Amino acid sequence: MFEDYPRETVLKDGSFVLLRPAVPDDEKGLSELFARIPDDESWFLRDDLADPEIMRQWIKDLNYDRVIPMVAVRQDDDRIIANVRLHRRSARCMRHVAHLRITVDPEFRQQRLGTWMLVDAIKLAMEIGIEKLVAEFVEGVEEAAISAAHKLDFFEQAVIKEYVMGPQGDYKNLIIMVKNIHRDWSDF
Amino acid sequence: MNHDESTEDQTGSCDAARDHPFCETTEEGVVSIIPRCPPEKFPELVLDKGIGNFSHYRSIIQKLDVFQKIARAEGGRVAVALLNDYVMIGYSACWYPPKGERWSKLGNLMYEMGAIEVSRKYRHLKIARKLVNALMDDDFFEDKIAYMNGFSWHWDLDGAGLTMSRYRKMIMGLLRPHGFKEVYTNEPNIALREENFFMARIGSRVSGEDRARFRNLRFGLVNR
Repeated sequence: MFEDYPRETVLKDGSFVLLRPAVPDDEKGLSELFARIPDDESWFLRDDLADPEIMRQWIKDLNYDRVIPMVAVRQDDDRIIANVRLHRRSARCMRHVAHLRITVDPEFRQQRLGTWMLVDAIKLAMEIGIEKLVAEFVEGVEEAAISAAHKLDFFEQAVIKEYVMGPQGDYKNLIIMVKNIHRDWSDF
Repeated sequence: MNHDESTEDQTGSCDAARDHPFCETTEEGVVSIIPRCPPEKFPELVLDKGIGNFSHYRSIIQKLDVFQKIARAEGGRVAVALLNDYVMIGYSACWYPPKGERWSKLGNLMYEMGAIEVSRKYRHLKIARKLVNALMDDDFFEDKIAYMNGFSWHWDLDGAGLTMSRYRKMIMGLLRPHGFKEVYTNEPNIALREENFFMARIGSRVSGEDRARFRNLRFGLVNR
């Protein structure tokens, strides 16, 4: 699954980044990444990985059968600047589905990094036989990710109105986006 | 180089040494592999009907004189699989990148694994692997960055009975034993579809400077 990693990619400013699976030694780098996420965004994280204790437990329990965590590392200083996670269920009826979660360092947004991470996640999904990738985004909070997902052929499967509660107690819509990994060409 | 399958399968009397045809007896007849078929041999051959035609793609390589032209060109190589010494049932063709393609900007450092095909009827004989093994068993590649474009619109999914993901994996599996890795690029044809891929193998004698040029070129950074 990881035989071709690390893989290089480039940001819009021309700097190089390595994509690779996360390993236990990444605990500090990942904690620092999540600590850089502003509070009004980290509030909406499904796993509160900004909490060092939760991160410690999460990384200690890494199991690539359940979660495939990828990191983007800046080549200049080995700083982890993005993380994407593919979550899989163990139930046989759900093994073809993976849920995707992505976090990009605020300093490296608008640099195409999130797009490369999504592309990488899609290729990984293909490699492990995933047929459906699901991503949940909070409307009004994760607009850049929603736009990037659209461009990679994720489509809005459902919107759950006023599902997520914001830090001020206000409710926000949850957009569920799905990407089908096509098995073959259409006969049309 | 990995020759496990090709050497294990040999049952014929041919010599498997480099640049010599080797052969094996199969249920379909005697299949021989010529790692680098000389241009003058092509007129003696017959192209099997299962080559070059499938549902949504018609290969440009459907005539023997096209192979001859490739084999005659500078750096051109065609490995062929022959049935009973004269029917071409598989081939792998390589060349320097055509002018105008992104990879030609690095000149003869780059070398394209351009095409590989096995006639539908003979696909169970693992001929593709043997062709690639035969082709790659050459020191020539240590000075080159060999690459393959994996474009899904060239894949015979119907004939293989595989999904796109599995077909992709199969093709990649042919090259990985020879040190090819999937690497990312923003080359527009590769980026067109997610299942497309670009694999490369950097020869052991390729300099650090050329490796860096290749890395930059993958992302369209030509002047760095």
